[in-house]
Amino acid sequence: MTETPACSVRGLSAAYGTTPVLRDVDLEVPRGVVLGVVGPNGAGKSTLLKAMLGLVPPLAGQVEFFGRPLSRVRARVGFMPQATTVDWDFPTTVRDVVTMGTYGFLGWLRRPGRVERERTGRALEQCGIADLARRQIGELSGGQRQRVFLARTLVSEPDLYLMDEPFAGVDARSQQAIVGVLHGLRQAGRTVVIVHHDLATVRDYCDHVALLNGTVVASGPVDAAFTPENVRRAYDVATADDPFLDVIG
Amino acid sequence: MNLFEFLGNHTYRMVFLGTAAIGLASGALGAFAYLRKRSLVSDVISHAALPGALGAFLVAVLLGLDGRRLALLLLGALLVSGLAVAASGHIARASKVRVDTAMAIVLTVFFGAGMLLMRVISDGPYPGKGGIQDYLFGNATVITRADLATIVAVAALAIGVMVVFWKEFSLRTFDPAHSAFLGFGRRVDGLMSVALVLAVVIGVKAVGLVLMVALVVTPAAAARQWTRRLPTMVALSALIGAMGGGLGTYVSVNLGAVPPGPVVVLVLFTVFVVSLLLAPGRSVGHRLVQRARVRRALRETA
Repeated sequence: MTETPACSVRGLSAAYGTTPVLRDVDLEVPRGVVLGVVGPNGAGKSTLLKAMLGLVPPLAGQVEFFGRPLSRVRARVGFMPQATTVDWDFPTTVRDVVTMGTYGFLGWLRRPGRVERERTGRALEQCGIADLARRQIGELSGGQRQRVFLARTLVSEPDLYLMDEPFAGVDARSQQAIVGVLHGLRQAGRTVVIVHHDLATVRDYCDHVALLNGTVVASGPVDAAFTPENVRRAYDVATADDPFLDVIG
Repeated sequence: MNLFEFLGNHTYRMVFLGTAAIGLASGALGAFAYLRKRSLVSDVISHAALPGALGAFLVAVLLGLDGRRLALLLLGALLVSGLAVAASGHIARASKVRVDTAMAIVLTVFFGAGMLLMRVISDGPYPGKGGIQDYLFGNATVITRADLATIVAVAALAIGVMVVFWKEFSLRTFDPAHSAFLGFGRRVDGLMSVALVLAVVIGVKAVGLVLMVALVVTPAAAARQWTRRLPTMVALSALIGAMGGGLGTYVSVNLGAVPPGPVVVLVLFTVFVVSLLLAPGRSVGHRLVQRARVRRALRETA
């Protein structure tokens, strides 16, 4: 019997209000891979992650994590949203925000203690922001903000990571730090799903890929699925000799 | 009258402690409302408290109870204000009506109902109806020992809820979506609303429903200028609220026949202006000084 996948999505459809964004998405994420969700703007990449997590109510379909519904395995799943979604003027420090990542497994009423402080310290270290721990979050650069969100996701030490464009608006140094964390997770056998924008680096960061355009155009190991033909269909490129296709290497 | 004579007088001491307790609770919970950009919820609460309290009065009188019992009136206010908050939230979620619009609509409907009830009561032969006008503009000149006990108990309950659910409140306020993902969803919103409703309704009779919003919004806005962390902001906001309430009644007594509500608001406004101008880090004054320093440094290196 084969191992249950880290995540399996069957027939998932979702809409914002009455505008359908995702239609009948089927996706399987094997354990231990880095899977890139790739597609043009408006393809529903972020919506896919949110619908998988129930943050956007799905219209139809089922999502299972490690063979069970999310509510049963919440502590094994980590989510890193886009950094633009919070008020960066909020009176809180980097350390406070990262500590919040431990609240999920703490559950109601239990307060963070010594174990959570240690985990927070490790996550800050891993993301290279330990020296910023006491800063107010509004004083950070875009890349540092992403690393705070990354650390908040790492701190709960989940088995599956869902990351929404971790490289968006990030400078070279932060990019390197985030890539380092990704490689570490991959070596530790964790499963990672990233929404990714840059086709040129898909081969460097990802083992698997899912090409999305409202629905899954193709998915599977990068060598099999990340072909010019599939990219062309996902991005609605008319001709096969369009220079756009050169970027996928 | 100096502060010691003021506090030595039983009536004044009751009023002082009552308004300070009101300011403490509304300042603390107001910090969360401010950070969630939902300050005006307090306006919905205070306006809906009118039909709540008056409805409770009518029910009490019809049942032959004493309609002036503060605990009874508060119970009515709590229920109806809670309903109003839930209604405005539900309208905003279920439709495309924006939350500020939903709040304005709900607020006016409940306030209109309250004004009708007020008319019914003042035209009718109800015993103990004197003083129901106080809900509009506030009257803190008489707070009995029993009133004070009720106010302090409800304020303690509001702050107690906040302390017990501190972790959940702070997470939900900072990042609602992440909070929902971690399993702390709308139930936390409900608890936060309950705590804020508790804090606001105890102040409506003393401060008046029109001015009560100032005790929720102004201390939080002033406190925000001085701090970079949530615990200090909440503590400072509570302190400013309590100080504004207590000091405001003291000043109003010294001025003679001035109702305390407006004076409390003016005291809080003064704190707010001073904070905006002088607080380190964010204030207008601090920025001017810093910019002048940078300019001088640039000139010297040139």
